Amino acid sequence: MLILYTDTDTDITPKTAAQYGYKLISMPYTSDGVTVYPYEDSEDLDIHAFYDTLRAGALPTTSAISEAKYEQYFEPEFAAGNDILYVHFSRAMTVTFDAMDKAVARLKEKYPGRKFYSIDTKGITTCSLGICLEIGDMYKAGKTAEEIVAWAEKEVLHFGTYFIADDLKFFRRSGRVSGLKATMGTLLGVRPLIYMNGEGKMVSLDSIRGRRKALERLAGLIEERGEDVEAHRVVIGHTDSPDLVEELREILTERYGDKFRIVVEATNPTAGSHCGPNAVGLCFHVRER
Amino acid sequence: MAKIVDGTLFMHMLGEGVRTLDANRQLVNDLNVFPIPDGDTGDNMLSTISSGFNAVADTDGETLEEVAAKAAEGMLLGARGNSGVILSRIFSGIASGFSGNATAGTKELGKAFECGVKEAYNAVSEPVEGTMLTVIRESVERANAEAVDDDTPEEYFDIILDEVKKSLKRTPELLSVLKEAGVVDSGGAGLMYIVEGMVKALRGEYLANEMPGQHAFSDDGDNSRKNLPDLSLFTEDSELLFGYCTEFLLRLQRSKVDIENFDIRPFSDFLNDVGESVVCFKEGSIIKVHVHTPKPGDILNFAQRFGEFLTLKIENMTLQHNENTPGAEKVSGSSEADIAGQENEEFALRMRPHKKFATVAVAAGEGMKETFLTLGVDAVIDGGQSMNPSAADFLKAFKSIDAEYILVFPNNGNIILTAEQAGALYTGAQICVIKTKTIGAGYSALSMLDVSSGDPDEIVAMAEQIGAEAVTAHVAPASRDAVIDGVCVKKDDFIGFTEEQVYVDDPDREEAAFKLCKALDAGDMDVILIIGGANADAEKAEELRSRLESEFKRTEFIYIDGGQPVYDYILIFE
Repeated sequence: MLILYTDTDTDITPKTAAQYGYKLISMPYTSDGVTVYPYEDSEDLDIHAFYDTLRAGALPTTSAISEAKYEQYFEPEFAAGNDILYVHFSRAMTVTFDAMDKAVARLKEKYPGRKFYSIDTKGITTCSLGICLEIGDMYKAGKTAEEIVAWAEKEVLHFGTYFIADDLKFFRRSGRVSGLKATMGTLLGVRPLIYMNGEGKMVSLDSIRGRRKALERLAGLIEERGEDVEAHRVVIGHTDSPDLVEELREILTERYGDKFRIVVEATNPTAGSHCGPNAVGLCFHVRER
Repeated sequence: MAKIVDGTLFMHMLGEGVRTLDANRQLVNDLNVFPIPDGDTGDNMLSTISSGFNAVADTDGETLEEVAAKAAEGMLLGARGNSGVILSRIFSGIASGFSGNATAGTKELGKAFECGVKEAYNAVSEPVEGTMLTVIRESVERANAEAVDDDTPEEYFDIILDEVKKSLKRTPELLSVLKEAGVVDSGGAGLMYIVEGMVKALRGEYLANEMPGQHAFSDDGDNSRKNLPDLSLFTEDSELLFGYCTEFLLRLQRSKVDIENFDIRPFSDFLNDVGESVVCFKEGSIIKVHVHTPKPGDILNFAQRFGEFLTLKIENMTLQHNENTPGAEKVSGSSEADIAGQENEEFALRMRPHKKFATVAVAAGEGMKETFLTLGVDAVIDGGQSMNPSAADFLKAFKSIDAEYILVFPNNGNIILTAEQAGALYTGAQICVIKTKTIGAGYSALSMLDVSSGDPDEIVAMAEQIGAEAVTAHVAPASRDAVIDGVCVKKDDFIGFTEEQVYVDDPDREEAAFKLCKALDAGDMDVILIIGGANADAEKAEELRSRLESEFKRTEFIYIDGGQPVYDYILIFE
C-alpha cells in the first residue's frame, strides 16, 4: 500500500491531512528556549498566540530534524510492507532533506523491496499546500505513486505563490529572500512583494506602498500570471492577519466574482518564523513560476 | 632573513600576532555588528591567541613541534567566541601538521597550514563561506600553489598575507549580511592582523625578551581586559531579544559517561535544538561549547549530566547589541568618522567595502533619526527646522562613508544649499543632493529608493519625483492670534498647515490633526505616517491613529514616536 506523507511546513492541519490520507512529519521551531513540534507535542496549535509572541519581539528559530527522526516516521511503514510518497517543502530552503536522504538510504538497505517516492513542492506554506491538496485529490481517486510523481514533475512549477510581508526583520534574519533592495531596512507602509521561484527560493519582486495597493497588486497577479485558475484551488495563506485575508477576499470577489475555489489557511509557525506576522499571500495556477 | 622557522621564532610570530591584533582589536570589534550581536570578535580572538602565546612565551630551545603543540593547547583552552574557537582550531591543525618537525621550511609550513585549514573547517558543523574560514583557506591554497620549496618562510607568508587581504575584501560578496552591514568579516580581519604580526616577526621585527604582558589573559576570564558593558542598557523592562552567548569547557567524568566512546553528536544535536551558532567539539575528555541560547541554564544542566565545567562564560547579547547599534552611524558623537579621519585611512578603506551608492539624511528627534537608520540610511545628521546643520556636519558624515556616490537628503528647504556647499567642498565621493524640502519628502523618497539602475542622474530624478509627490503637514501650537488663509487662529490653539497653507485651528491637538487629515483628503492616500513630536502624548496619538483608520478605511495609518521639537505632529501623506 502507498502511504502519503507531508510535513507541517506545508500548512496542512491534522484535520485536513486526515481528510486526504496524509501522515504528518512535524517540523520544529524553537521560541524562548522551548522547541515545539507542531501537532506532535499537542493536538492543537494556537497560531494567534504564536504570532503574538513575534509581535512582542520574539525571534524564534527553526531547525532541521535528524536522520533518526525520519527513521522513526518511515521505518514502521516499510516494516509493514508499505511504500511511501512524501510531499515536502522546498529542498532549497533547508538541509533537513539531506538527513532524510541518509535515513531513507539506510532503510532501503534494510527493506530492499520497499519504495520511497518524494515530491519537492519547491515551496513552503501556502505554495506547498496548494500542491498537497491537489495530490491529496489524486491519492483519494486511487492514482498510483508513479502517476502522481509524473503529474508533479509537470505541474509543481505551475503553482505560483506571491505574498506581501509586513516587517523585513524576519527575512533579513533568516537570509532566505534574495533581491531585497539594498536600502530596505524596516519599512513603514512599504511592503515587499515576494514570490517563490522555480528553484523553490523566495525572491523579492517589487515593493508597494500602502496596504490596499499591495493587496490589489496581489489580486491583479491572478490576471497577469494565472492560467486555468478556476480548475484549481486558490489558496490564501496568512500569518495571523484575518483582516488582510478578508480585504483580499473582497478585492478578489470584486474583480473576479466567485469563480474561484478559495481555501484559506494560516501559515504554520515554523515557516511563519521566517516571515513574521501580518503577511498574506496567494497560491494559484500560473503559466509559469 | 630566516630560512627556517624554529620553536623560538614561532613563539615570536605568535607574540607579534598578539601585538598587532591588540593594536587593532577595537576596529575588529566594530566590524561585528549584524546579525549576531557579538561585537567582540577582536576581544575574543585576542584572548584566544594570547592564551596560546602565554603558554609558550618562556620557551627555551624547544622544538617547533613542541611549541606549536603547547600554543595550540593554550588556544584551545582559551578560545572565546565562534571566531576564537575557529582560530584555535586553525592553530591546532597547524600544530598537528608540524608533527615530527623540529623546524620548518616552506614545504613544512605549507603542509601544516593545510592541516590548519582542514581542522578549522571540521570545527563547525556548517561551515559558512565569507568568514575567516574562507580567508584562511584561500590564502593557504594560493600560497601552496605558488610557493616553491626554496622560498623562504617570509616569502611564503608574504603570499599568505597578500591573499588574506584580498580574500577579506571579497567576504561581503560571499556573505550578504556583511554587504548589507557594509563591513568585511570581522574574524577574517582579526586573522589579517595576526598574520601581519607573524610576518613582522619573520622579518626579525619582534620584541625580544619582552613578553607582551599586557596582553596576557588568564584562561578563566579577566574582566580588566575590557570595560564592563553599560549595564543600564538592559533595564527592568528590557526584553531579552538575543539570548546569551554561552561558552564552556566541560571535562567528561568517568563516573558519568564512557569517555572513550562518548558520542558528541546527540550532545551537539541538543545544542542545535535549543540554541544557535553552535560550535561544539571534543578533544580528549574535554568538550568545548559555544552556543547562543535564551536559556543557558537548560544547557548547563544538560551538559552537567556528562561531566563538570572547567570554565564558563555567559554574556547577555541583548546588552551587547544595545551597545552596538547595527549598520549605520549617527554622526553626532560618531567614532567612525574619527577613525576615517585618522592616519588609519587605509584601514577605513579596507574595512568598509566600497559602496556605489550611500545615503545621508538630515533629521531631528531621536525617533525620527532611528526611523531613518532602520530605513538603511548610512549616516543621519542631527538637524532640521530651527537647527540647521553646518557644511562641516555634512563633511563629517561624508567622511564616514566610502562610496562612489553619496545621495544626500536635506529634508528642509533651508538646508539644501548647505548640503550642496558641502558637496562642492568634498572630494572623496560624488555628492548628489536630492532636494527634499520636507521630512516627508525625504522619508518618502528614501523608503522607495531604488539604486538598481546604477545611473545617478536617473536615481536623483526618480527620488526627487517620489519626494515631491509626498505631502508633509504639521500640527503646532499657535503663538499668537491671527487670520491666515481664511482660518481664524487663536493663540495657544493648535493649527494644522502645510508649507503652502494653514487649514485648521482647534483647541485640541488631536482634533486639529484629524481635521487636517480630512482637509487633505486622507482617504485618497496609500499611507499616512503620523509622527508624534516631543509634546505629543503617545496614548492620544494612538487613539488618533485608530480614529483615522476607521474613518479612512482604505488608507494605512502608521504612528511613529518621532520625538521632534517644534511640531507636535508631522503628517506624511503618501
